[in-house]
Amino acid sequence: MSSAISPRSRHSEPGLDRRSVLAGATAGLLVAALPARAATEPSPELAQLIARITEGAVPERGRITLDIPALVENGNSVDTRIVVESPMTDADHVRWIHLIAEKNPFPDMARFHLGPRAGRAEVATTLRLAQSQKITAVAALSGGAFVLADADIVVTLSACIDGG
Amino acid sequence: MTFNARITLPPTASVGEIVEIRVLTRHPMDRGGQSDGRGGTVPRKILNRLTATYAGEPIFRFDMHTGVAANPFVSFTTRAVATGDIVFEWREDGGATYTRTARLTVT
Amino acid sequence: MSGRGRLIQGAFALGLAALAAVPALSEIKSGTEFLSPDMRRQQADETRNPAFFWVEQGRELFSRKPTPDGQACVSCHADPQQSLRGTAAHYPQVDAATAKLLNLEGRIEQCRVERQGQPAFGYESPELLAMTAYLGSLSRGLPVEVKTDGAAKPYYEAGKAFFERRQGQLNLSCQQCHDGLVGQKLRGDTVSHGAGTGYPAYRLEWNDVGSLHRRLRACSLGVRATQFDYGSPEYLALELYLAGRAKGLPVETPGMRR
Repeated sequence: MSSAISPRSRHSEPGLDRRSVLAGATAGLLVAALPARAATEPSPELAQLIARITEGAVPERGRITLDIPALVENGNSVDTRIVVESPMTDADHVRWIHLIAEKNPFPDMARFHLGPRAGRAEVATTLRLAQSQKITAVAALSGGAFVLADADIVVTLSACIDGG
Repeated sequence: MTFNARITLPPTASVGEIVEIRVLTRHPMDRGGQSDGRGGTVPRKILNRLTATYAGEPIFRFDMHTGVAANPFVSFTTRAVATGDIVFEWREDGGATYTRTARLTVT
Repeated sequence: MSGRGRLIQGAFALGLAALAAVPALSEIKSGTEFLSPDMRRQQADETRNPAFFWVEQGRELFSRKPTPDGQACVSCHADPQQSLRGTAAHYPQVDAATAKLLNLEGRIEQCRVERQGQPAFGYESPELLAMTAYLGSLSRGLPVEVKTDGAAKPYYEAGKAFFERRQGQLNLSCQQCHDGLVGQKLRGDTVSHGAGTGYPAYRLEWNDVGSLHRRLRACSLGVRATQFDYGSPEYLALELYLAGRAKGLPVETPGMRR
C-alpha cells in the first residue's frame, strides 16, 4: 500500500530540503507534482500582507524554521512548529511570531507573543488551511529586525471548502 | 458548550530549566460565515486570545484568528523560576473568558 | 465468440473474482492502520486527541445524579473501570428482554429512560456521545467480540446483505470499496476495511466527535444513497455485521479519524 502522507519537511531558509524531496520520491510521490519550495517568491499580495505587519521593513530569511507537512492530509488540523534561533535575553529576543496563510479566507492566522521569560523561541499549534498555498512565518526581533520562513504546501482535503 | 482544557507541564523542574507547556482546548472555534438557513450567516465564535501568567507577569500570549483549528493545540516554553501557579485565561468572541490554573513545582 | 463477447466475459469473470476475494477475518485491519504516523501518535496521546474531552465529560455524567433525588449511573454500576470494562466490546447485541438489537447508544438510552426515568439524551447529542465515548474507552484495547448466531443471526444476515448490496446513484456496495479497493485512494483519503472500531471518534472533517452512525450516513451520502436515521434498523444491522468482521481487533474508542 503506498504511503498516504509525505514526510514532514523542515523549511529552514534558504534552499530546497533535499531529504524531504528524496523521501517523497521514494514514497511514490511525483516530485514534479510538488511545487518547488524556496524557489517561489511571495506574490505581490503576500508581500503587501507581510509589509503591513512589519510596517514596511523587509524580513531576512534565516534563523527561523517553519516545520509543516509538505502534503497535508486534512486541512482542518495541521500541526505546525516554528523555531527561531535566539538567545532570548532582555537585550536580544523574539517579540512575536506571526503566521500568514495567503489563500485562507482570512490570511492572518495567529500571532505568538513571546519575551525573555520564554527561554527559547519555539512554539507549535494546529492550523486550519483552506487550500494548497504558501504559509509564511514572520518573527519580530527585539532589535527591530524581522526574519521570515515560508513553505509551499499541498492541501488535499480543504477546511472551510470540503466539509468542516 | 462545554469549554475544557488539558494543560500538560512536567511534574517538576529545576530553577532556570526551560519547560514546555502544552495546552489542548475544547472549543469548536466556529469560523462562522455559513448560511443559517434564514437568509443570514452564522456569526464567528472563536477563542481569540490565550494568555499565560506566571510569577507575576504574562509569559505568553496567543492571538488566534479563524485559521487556528477547532479544538486547538498550542505549545510554548517558559523558564522555571519558582514554584507557583501558571494561570491561563482564554478570551472568546463576545467577551466571555475562561480560566484554568496549573501548578509548576520548581526545585 | 466475437472479440467483444470475450472482452465482456473476461470483465465479468474479473468482477466475480473481485467479489469472491473476501479477505479472511484475520486480514481486516483497523482504521488506525490507515492513518499517518502523526495521526496515529495523536490518537494515542491524551494530551493531543480532543476526543478525550468527551470521555471526560462522559465520566462526569456517569457519576452525576440526573435529579437531586435520582440515581446516577454509578449507583448501579459501581467502580465502572472494573465492572464495565469489556462491556462495549460485546455490542451490538440482542436485548434479551425485547429481542431487539441494541448498540451501546441504545443500551445507554434504555437505562436512562427505563431505569433512571429520565428523558432520552437523543442520538448524536453531546451527552450521548460523551457517555458512549466514555463507556467505549473502558474497553480500549480489548478485542471486539459480538454474537452473530442464535438470536443475532437474522440481524447479522441483514447487515451482511446491506454491505454487499449496490446502493445509491453511484450504484456502489460497501464491499466493492471496503473489500475490493482497500489501500487505494479516494481523493486525498485511503480506503480502509471500514472496521469502525474507533467510534465514537474525533473526525477532522467534522471538527467534532461523532458516532459510527454519523460516519455511516456520510458513506451513504458519498454514494448518493438514502441516508438512514441515526439508530435505524439498517445501520444497526450493518453495525453488527461490521463488528463481526472486526472480531478480534482491539476497541480503539475514542479514535481520531480524518
